[in-house]
Parts: sequence; C-alpha cells; structure tokens
Amino acid sequence: MPAAISVSDLSKTYRTGLLSRSTVKALRGVSLEVPKGEIFGLLGPNGAGKTTLVKILLGLVHRSGGTARLFGTPVQTPAARQRIGFLPENHQFPGFLTARQTLHVYGRLADVPQIRREEKIDELLRRVELYERRDTKVNTFSKGMLQRLGLAQALLNDPDLLFLDEPTSGVDPVGRRTLRDLVLELRDEGATIFLNSHLLSEVEKVCSGIAILRDGEVVRKGTIKELTAVERVYDLVSTPVPDDVLDDTVLRSSPDGTAPAPDLRAYRLQADDRATLNGVLDRLRAADVQIESITPLRRSLEDYFIDVVDPPDVDTTG
Amino acid sequence: MRPLYGLFLLTFRELWAKKVVLGLFVISSLVLLVVTFALNLNVVEGSLQGLRLFGQEATPDPSANGQGASEGPQFTLTNVVVTVEAIVAGMAYWIGILLALFASASLFPELQAPGRVELLLSKPISRMQALLGHVLGVWVLVGILTVYLMGGTWLIMSIKSGVWHPRFLLSILLVVGMFAVMYAAVLLMGVWTESTALALIVSYGLIFVSLVLAGAESIGPLLGSVGRPVLWGLYHALPNFSEVTELVVRLARDDPISSWYPLWSSLAFGGVVYGVSGYWFVRRDF
Repeated sequence: MPAAISVSDLSKTYRTGLLSRSTVKALRGVSLEVPKGEIFGLLGPNGAGKTTLVKILLGLVHRSGGTARLFGTPVQTPAARQRIGFLPENHQFPGFLTARQTLHVYGRLADVPQIRREEKIDELLRRVELYERRDTKVNTFSKGMLQRLGLAQALLNDPDLLFLDEPTSGVDPVGRRTLRDLVLELRDEGATIFLNSHLLSEVEKVCSGIAILRDGEVVRKGTIKELTAVERVYDLVSTPVPDDVLDDTVLRSSPDGTAPAPDLRAYRLQADDRATLNGVLDRLRAADVQIESITPLRRSLEDYFIDVVDPPDVDTTG
Repeated sequence: MRPLYGLFLLTFRELWAKKVVLGLFVISSLVLLVVTFALNLNVVEGSLQGLRLFGQEATPDPSANGQGASEGPQFTLTNVVVTVEAIVAGMAYWIGILLALFASASLFPELQAPGRVELLLSKPISRMQALLGHVLGVWVLVGILTVYLMGGTWLIMSIKSGVWHPRFLLSILLVVGMFAVMYAAVLLMGVWTESTALALIVSYGLIFVSLVLAGAESIGPLLGSVGRPVLWGLYHALPNFSEVTELVVRLARDDPISSWYPLWSSLAFGGVVYGVSGYWFVRRDF
C-alpha cells in the first residue's frame, strides 16, 4: 500500500536574475515518507525549503529532479490532488462571496458534486463554528474566521491527505484550540495531516512524526519521542534513595523534577550502557528502594529544534 | 468538467462584481431605452415619412446647404435603420472593447496573487483547464453584454421598422472576436508580469499602433529600405484592430466586404498569443 506522501531525492533549483543566470538551490535531494493516518510536521528555519517542498507536493512548483508522489500518483498530474485538501497560510477568498458561496465555488473546483456539496457545506460550517455567519461576505471576517473557513474549504472533498501551512498563524488561543481539536478529530477519522508550522509547541502537541529541513536538506526525521529523548538519561521516581547509593555521576537528585507524592523523590539517572543501568537498578532494589517509574529524559521540541538548526559552537581548541 | 465549469463561473462572477461591467450594462440599457423610446420612426406602408429624436423632428431637409435630394444620402427607412445599427456597432466595438479590457485586465493577475493561486492550483484541475475556464468566463460575459446591446438594438430597430437584416448580427461575432484577440495580450502580460497596469498599457498600445498600421499603404512608400519591411512585418504580425472597425461598420450597414484579411491576421495573432500564455502559465512556479 503506497504511503500518503513519498518523496525521493527531490531537488529544486530556482533560476533568477537576468537570463536566469543566478541559481538558488531550495531543495537538495530530499527523501521522505509519510505513512497514512499520521500527523506529520515539517519544521525548519526560514529559507530551509519547507514551502518549496509543500508547493512541489501540491503542483504549484515544478521539481528540478527526483520524484514526489501522493498515494502513489506523481504530483505533476491533477489526479494526485483528487484526494487532498490544502489550507494555505495567507489564503485570499474573493471578498464579494459569502461563506456559503465561497465553499460552493471551491467545492466545485475540488470536483464535489452539487448534492454532496449541499450536505457537506452546512456540516462543515457547523463544525468550524461559522454556520451563523454563513450568509456574511467573507471580506468582513476576522483572521481566525478566515482560517476556519479555509479549513472548511480544505475539507470539502473529504480529503485523505490534508496540508496545513501555518494553520494557527495569527489566530488567538481559543481559535488555536478549536483548530487543534479539529486536526486531532480528522486524524482519528483516518486522515493524514501534513503540518508546516513554526509554532513548535503546537507541533509537539499534535504531531507524531516530524522532519527538520535545513538548507534544503532533511537533517533529522523520526517520531518526536525518538528525536527528543536524551540518550541514556532517565528520570527516576522512587522512595528516598539512601545517601550511600547516590552517586553524582550516575544517580543524583533531579535538578527540575518534582515527585508526584510526599513519600516519593525524583532522581536523574545517567547510564552510559545497559549494564550500568541494570547495575544501578540492582543497587536500588538491594537498598529496598521502591521504584515508581523510570522514563527516558526528553527535551522540549523547541530545544531539540534549536540544537539541530543552530548547533552550539564546539570548542576545538582544547 | 466540474472544476472547469467552476472556474468559468467564478470568473464570470468576479467580472460581474466589477463596477465597470455593471456600468457597461447600465450604458447598454440606456442605449436600448433611447432606441426604444426616444427614436420615433413614422413608417407608413413600409416607407419612412418622418423621424423624431427625443421628441424633436430629425428628418433632414433635402434643400438644406444647397443640396438637392438627388445629391445627398437617400433618406430611406433602410438607411436610417442601418445607420443607427452601425453607430451602435461602432460604439460597442471601440468604447465597449476598451472598457471591457479595462474591467477584465486585473482578473488574471488577481487570480495569480499569493493566497489565491494556491487555492486554485491545489485543486484537481490542470493549469490548461484553469486558464481555459478563466478565458471562457471572460469571453462569455463580454459576449452576453455585446449580444444584449447589439442584439437588442437590432431586435428593437427591426421590430420598429420592419427592416430585418440579419447580416448585422455577424458584427457581434467580430466585436467579441476582436475583444478576445486583445484579451490575449492582456492575458500574456498578466501571466508574464502579473501587472494589471502593464497589461492595459500593452493592449491599449496595440490598439494605438493599429491606428498607425491602418495607414501602412500610404506610410510605406515614405519609408526607407529598412523601415518599409518593418512596417509591413508589424502590419501582418500585430492585430489590425483599427481596420476591423471598417468590417464591423460594413456588416452593420449591409455593405459588401472586400477583404477579411485584417480579421484573419488579428485572429492568428490572438491564437499565437493565447498559446504562448498557456505555455508560460503551465511552466511557471508559484
């Protein structure tokens, strides 16, 4: 069964200037697969190539090399876009249309039959909480309302794959919550969601997999859990550990942990290998320490992202 | 077909939402009202006995300016009908096309604006279909307005006078056809530069140049060995907007047409420019 998105060795070079003699390499051999039913986040600093990648997938930009497929269909054919929905960041609807007319126009463009449109438009307007404003012209809508209407137009054809480009940009916290809940509902209904966002806290809340682009290349990809886990460092919650078992290099009191109960304490455990980890656990058991939980330490996605896209200078002078 | 029809309707509605198109509709309606109510033909047994415009007698005096009835134009019912129709056709051709170009020039650049083009091209529609839907929408609305004005005038004049000459209806095709030719230039500039102003400058510029090229036969001999082939090259390559005016008026007046060349060469220009616009639009990155 083909992946929702499959990209292999994708490259894009923009030609600019007089006689197209200047070139800018926006993508350099990007390879990526997004499985069905996942919320996938695409991250990267400005100019990393995120927008170019999304635009190639949507047929807005022509690739220079490599392949890109949506559900196994090459992106350059209109049929590839039959099962997708797209919410651009700063979309503009014709201002003279009402919310309902707008959805009819874009539904027709998305090849949705009239009978289906009639049912779907009312359902979606209710879902994005715009039903009461259905006959209001869209040029009177706030940014948040426009984003919700944009999401409704992206859902008209019951897409199996939804592209969201900065969906919460300029939206207030309540609107962000509404959009986030909708995205999670869609995921639960089986849709694949490709999210391009700078709001890492939002990405962390909803995405399972991510890819980080830098200078046109994928520098990291994987699940958020895998990527943000700090290697071989664990948070341990247990009954108090006797002082003679504590060892500053391996097991020490957690610098930021708070225990969930008065009789418990939080510790940080650094074990360079499995044997060390098991050795510490054996010593704890031998000292009658009751272990409540042991979990790999995670950084926030923001910390991880900054480490990847802007790594700290390494002092090589010794 | 549904996405193509959707874009056709969207273009149609966008154009209709423009005030200029509404203005054209109002002006056309006023012309039809004048032809209906302000122009009174006194027809007795198939011949014209008198003509009143806004209630004033407008029958020419054959003895005025020392002209005898036999020297001046024949004041017949048919002459009055074809003259009114030719005036309306000329007006539709020049004023109508210039205003229609003005009204429609911003449409394609707006369609390609960031935030709009993404919504359109992310739908399951090919770029050629998108272009075709847009162009058909513009053509059809201009066609409807032209049929409303010229067809309405023809119908009213024919009913009032009993003089029916269907050849006038061919001039409607010429007006719409030449609008389509000039819109090709607007479209090309829209695709290439996304500038409404430049699209208008180029299309109006071509109309101005056609006024000069219409005099190619008299200007040509005055030019040197380099200037002459350049002038004739331009004459054959660019739309002969000005010369087609004569074809429109001749059709309206039911006069014979000596050469259709200005129309064919203009249509060929339009065809090539639409082709280039399509090629460019398909290859562009957005």
